[in-house]
Amino acid sequence: MPDRTSRFIWPVLGLPGMVWIALFFLVPLYVVFCVTFGTVDPIFRSPVPAWNPMEWQFEQVAVVWDRLVGPNNFYLPPVLRTLLYVVVAVVACMIIAFPVAYFTARYAGRHRALILALLVAPFWISYMMRMLAWINLLQPDGLVNFIITLGGIIPLEVNWLSGNPFTVVMGLIYGYVPYMLLPLFAALDRISPSLIEAGRDLGASGFELFRRVILPMSVPGVVAGTLLIALPMMGDYFTSDMLSKSPSTSMIGNLINLSIATPGQSGQAGALLILVLLVLLAPMIWYTRSNMKSEVRS
Amino acid sequence: MADRPRPPISRRRLLQASALAVPSAWVLSSCARAQPLGSPAPAASAGGGSASAAASLPPLTEIPIASPQNPVKWPINPGNEPIASGLEPEMNATLRVYNYPDYVYKRVLKDFQEEYADYNVKVELSTFNDLPEALTKIRSGSVPFDVGFLTYNYMGKLVYGDLIRPLNHDYLPNINDVWEEFQNPFYDQGWQYTVPYTIYTTGIGWRHDLIPEDISARPNPFDVFWDAKYAGAIAVLDDDREVIAMTILRNGGTDVNSGDPSVLGQTRDSMLEMLAVSKPRVTITGYTDIPEGTMSLSQCWSGDMITGQYYLPEGVDVSLLRYWSPPTGQAVIGNDFLCVLKGGENPVMAHHFLNYMLKNDVSMKNFGFVGYQPPLRSLTPESMVTDGYIPANLAAAIVKPEWFQVGYPLLELPVAVEAEYQAIWQQFKSGA
Repeated sequence: MPDRTSRFIWPVLGLPGMVWIALFFLVPLYVVFCVTFGTVDPIFRSPVPAWNPMEWQFEQVAVVWDRLVGPNNFYLPPVLRTLLYVVVAVVACMIIAFPVAYFTARYAGRHRALILALLVAPFWISYMMRMLAWINLLQPDGLVNFIITLGGIIPLEVNWLSGNPFTVVMGLIYGYVPYMLLPLFAALDRISPSLIEAGRDLGASGFELFRRVILPMSVPGVVAGTLLIALPMMGDYFTSDMLSKSPSTSMIGNLINLSIATPGQSGQAGALLILVLLVLLAPMIWYTRSNMKSEVRS
Repeated sequence: MADRPRPPISRRRLLQASALAVPSAWVLSSCARAQPLGSPAPAASAGGGSASAAASLPPLTEIPIASPQNPVKWPINPGNEPIASGLEPEMNATLRVYNYPDYVYKRVLKDFQEEYADYNVKVELSTFNDLPEALTKIRSGSVPFDVGFLTYNYMGKLVYGDLIRPLNHDYLPNINDVWEEFQNPFYDQGWQYTVPYTIYTTGIGWRHDLIPEDISARPNPFDVFWDAKYAGAIAVLDDDREVIAMTILRNGGTDVNSGDPSVLGQTRDSMLEMLAVSKPRVTITGYTDIPEGTMSLSQCWSGDMITGQYYLPEGVDVSLLRYWSPPTGQAVIGNDFLCVLKGGENPVMAHHFLNYMLKNDVSMKNFGFVGYQPPLRSLTPESMVTDGYIPANLAAAIVKPEWFQVGYPLLELPVAVEAEYQAIWQQFKSGA
């Protein structure tokens, strides 16, 4: 009898979550498809979704495709720019987060809870507020310039907010680094201290211990953290909008946002969205499959 | 029962799951409004009056585009006649006003409530970021907005979408206080639907201490946006029409609504050149960024610089602000208007609100906050300076009535031309 109860209890408990996903993910996704493959009201230029897949039209996808790979491929620079920004920001997040997570997992001792609380403290303030704070700090006469010029002694003028790609990447790193920290911490925390001691007993140096024991065992955390921050970064438009406002730092997210706000171009926004979705689906599938395999192995 | 890993989903299961999408599509389809292509959706009509105009609309090609050379008297659709004269304002009304952010003085709205306290009216202000967003929300009918602060290059859509209510002039005697040009504007002959709100030119604003050069002394001041000397310190408006128009003017053109492919091609090339040379930011926050010194120079509307005086940091003198637009008035020029929306529930109170906003003292009070000039007869360029509304160094931001004869308004565009403009703008904003 207990087996029969547990057979039904979990699906029942899981049902609200499944309904939630269906309502707020699958249905909106279908609406995106219907808008993308639908038409446009000739007067108001607002989208007229085609609910019936048999009526779907593919002009907007063709337009986006042409702007990506056609002779006038002006969508390509923001796409490449986005990839570059995301790769740099993910690597930087990793470099920043790994030592912090390792320290917290292994050496924080009784202060671990406090440190963890401090690590997630940025979540308590909205992303927009944090970006607005950075705008103040990065002003020409702001605190950052005051510090790097040693209070104005060094004659150095840096305009951080003038469409500077460095500022946008720094904004991405700042905004997303906590999301990298937590999965890394979880993975590093799971490494048994006896494995590290065994490595030491077998004569591994500090670097070898890291390379041959800690790093391989932290791979699931690294992958999870990378996906967790790379996926939203790919669609991020807010950071560039706030810290740059310049076309020279436009990302895919900015293109999608512009298309949504432009009458008659919702279909193009949808096509771009689907493109990003397809690009992001590959690592997600890979991650899910590798997780399933490792679960089966364990 | 212990948890165990599930096998991956089979192709058959995936197909079965996909089959569920078909009924979902049917449900969505039946939820959608019946909206035949080629005709606009009928607007919600909470305030009475049937939404029958959609049926009587002419084909799309017949909808006129208003311009100074082609003034338009819009039709009044059956079922959308003006309200009768002599009606009492609605009691306990919530007057829903729809506007850009920071584009009306809230004190003025409170004063209106006080003036109509006998009717227990409450003014509720909602804001939109741009007109496409506003139009979408007005069309949806989800909120019964009574009054809209809108722009004339959307007149065709407003009238033919049956979204706007014709005015009864008996309720609007204060129209006599505004310039004659706006008692019979080209975009609404006979002011059947609109009353003017503010007027403006588009030009260049800067802070003199950050840009010591006298931009206005250049043979072509618009060249400043193509000057590598100011790379990273300047901005253009986040508005496709304004930037394209400025580029056309800079290249020696005068038709800022041009659909000529060669003009548009040249304009696109110039805009991309600007991007490469001066790396401008794209923003509409020049009215705070320039006074605060975050930005040195920006394309902006005249009202932005007048408002800018209130955003100066402590210790920065107002005399440092500058504005330039062609002094002959041959600039991009425009105005916004007030109208009564058809979906509103309080058309009589809405008429009273329009009349109130036209009132000389109310209009002046509002001007003192928003910085955008109302087209009032009582205002002269001299009085605006002597009365302290505009500092002398920003006198170029004052719009003169005769400029509406020579200026270049941004007009509604044919759909194909509009698509060309959008493509140019997308290329520019993608930083290609």
